[in-house]
Order: sequence, then C-alpha cells, then structure tokens
Amino acid sequence: LNILLRLLLFVVSAGTLYFVVKKIRDSQAQIDSAIFWVLFMLAMVVSSIFPGAVIYVSALLGIDSPANFVFLCIIFLLLLKVFSMSLHISKLQYQIQQLAQIIALKESRAGSDCDE
Amino acid sequence: LEIASGEIALKVLAIIPCYNEGQSLKRVVENLKIKAAAIDFIVVNDGSQDDTHEVCADNNYPVINIPFNLGLASAVQTGMRYACDNGYAMALQFDGDGQHLPEYIPEMIDLMQETGADIVVGSRYMQKSSRSLRGLGGSLLRIAVKIATGKKLSDPTSGMRLFNRKMIEKFAYHMNYGPEPDTLVYLMNQGAKVFEMPVTMQERKAGKSYLSTLVAINYMLRMFVSIMIIQWFRVKENKI
Repeated sequence: LNILLRLLLFVVSAGTLYFVVKKIRDSQAQIDSAIFWVLFMLAMVVSSIFPGAVIYVSALLGIDSPANFVFLCIIFLLLLKVFSMSLHISKLQYQIQQLAQIIALKESRAGSDCDE
Repeated sequence: LEIASGEIALKVLAIIPCYNEGQSLKRVVENLKIKAAAIDFIVVNDGSQDDTHEVCADNNYPVINIPFNLGLASAVQTGMRYACDNGYAMALQFDGDGQHLPEYIPEMIDLMQETGADIVVGSRYMQKSSRSLRGLGGSLLRIAVKIATGKKLSDPTSGMRLFNRKMIEKFAYHMNYGPEPDTLVYLMNQGAKVFEMPVTMQERKAGKSYLSTLVAINYMLRMFVSIMIIQWFRVKENKI
C-alpha cells in the first residue's frame, strides 16, 4: 500500500465519515441506515492508518498488491449494498403504490353517497 | 391516582403494538382491562396478516390499522402520535404477546408521579441475572449503556416502558426516537430521568419469533454500535 493511496483512502473515508455524522446530527439519516456507512468508513480509516492487517490478509490470499485487495473489498461491499438498496427501493415503491391506492379508495368512498 | 375507586387523575394510554398477535391479543387485552382498568389502551395493528384486525373489531377494541408492516419503532410512534394528539399525560409501551404483566402498571405510574421520572422501565434483572444468550447480549448492552451514560440500567432491552408527556411529544414527531436502548441512552445524556422498577415477565405463549437467534444477534450488534458510536455524534438538545 503506497503512501499516496493510504492518504487518499484516509481523506476520502474521513470526509465521508464526517458527512454521514453531519446527516445524523441534522436528523436526515436514520440510525439503522447510517450504521453501515459509519462502520465501512471507520474500517477504511483504520486500514489507511494501519495497513498491516490488509497486507497480511492479501498475502494470505495470494493477491499480489494489497491495493488490489482493498479495491476488491470495497467493490464487493458496495455491490452488496447496492443490491440490498435495490431490494429496499422495490419494497418502498410497492408500499407507496399501496398507500396511494388506499388513500384513493378512501377518498372515493368518502365522496360517494352509498353507505358500505 | 386512585385505582381502587376507578377514578383516575390523569390520562394514561397503553400502546399495544401488534404484528400477528391474533392468538394472544384477546387474552392480553382482557387481562389489561381487569388489572389496570383505570387506563386507556390502543392496539396498533402493524400490518398483521393474521386475524389481529378481526379480533379487535369483534371485541370493540380501539385499534389503529397500519396498512403494512412498518416495524416496532414505527408502530410505537403511531401510538405516541395518538397519545400526543389526544392529550395523554403518560403513555405505556405494552407488548401484545402476553410478555408484560398489567399488574405492575399502577406501580409504574405511582413511581413516575413520586419521582418525577421521565421514563420508568420495567426491569427483569433487578434481582437476578440470566445466563442465556439473551443474558449475554443484555450484559453487553448494559456495559455499553454504562460507558455511554455513566449510569446503570439493569434491563435496557425491556419493552415495558412508561413515558411522561414530555417524552411522548419527543417520540411522537422526531426521527431516530425508536423505542430502543439507544434512544434511552440519548435521552439520559440529555438529562432525562430514567427509573427502573423490578417486574417479572412471562415467556411468549402464542406465536413464534422465527430466526430469533439471528435476529437477536443482529439487534444486539446494531444497538451496541448505535450506543457506542452513533449516539456520541448526535446533537444534544436543550437539557431536559
């Protein structure tokens, strides 16, 4: 892990961490969804300061460059996150449709004269 | 507060969040009506797929039906909104599965009035500690609470909690006020008075929480991270 990459990793993850924390402070993020980002960014900050563990594991797995191992981990994690968010969005979309239908049905019932 | 004469000085609401508790709900509510007759209650049906709604309708229980399952935090918040809008002085979180015993409610109300507590928690472990996996998770959370607040909370995960009006208003309309230990920590750090009272609880009789071990571990980890890391960042509002 060369020093430039470590520096970049540190700056970006610390910056993102700050941003996540700010969003929680402004009550714009729910804690449940913020936990993933806080842990992810903390892990990146830690591995940029102490690259020993990263170098050890990448050597263990036979990956030539520890930098590649870092990229691999980040890509995998983000892939998983994107997938779970896509599932989550589908659910939200469905729920909004349901809500709109329920409200629409209620309103049409309130407007009509017939009793149910 | 005079329970015996059936008169009540202040309005207290028991919020009963329910997700597929049709089997136990009737027994729970009837028991509540007898043992704590002086307080009002509302069932929050959190998108149950079983006959929870029918049980409420057949027995004329006051109920709020949420169109789909939003989770416990949101169900309780719905009840808190109802309590807030209808001028309740205290609100109690009360499980629909029969775990919580209504016998303790009058005592909890008394304790709140005597001490001026903001929150009274019914604690299972004030005398004895448990050695199960749940007990282990509980110990972990107790340590986290101690570190985060400097105060002791013997049963942070207890779901039997009584809130005063000030707390009702906070829980009803704010984000990140789930009825969970991390919110207690957040409130305690702002100076909220949280008191505990020893209670016994019953094991669930009907229904089952499947995957319960995985869910429990996930829950404990989430709470631990939230208490140890996230709460530290949150803005402290005005002292309570």
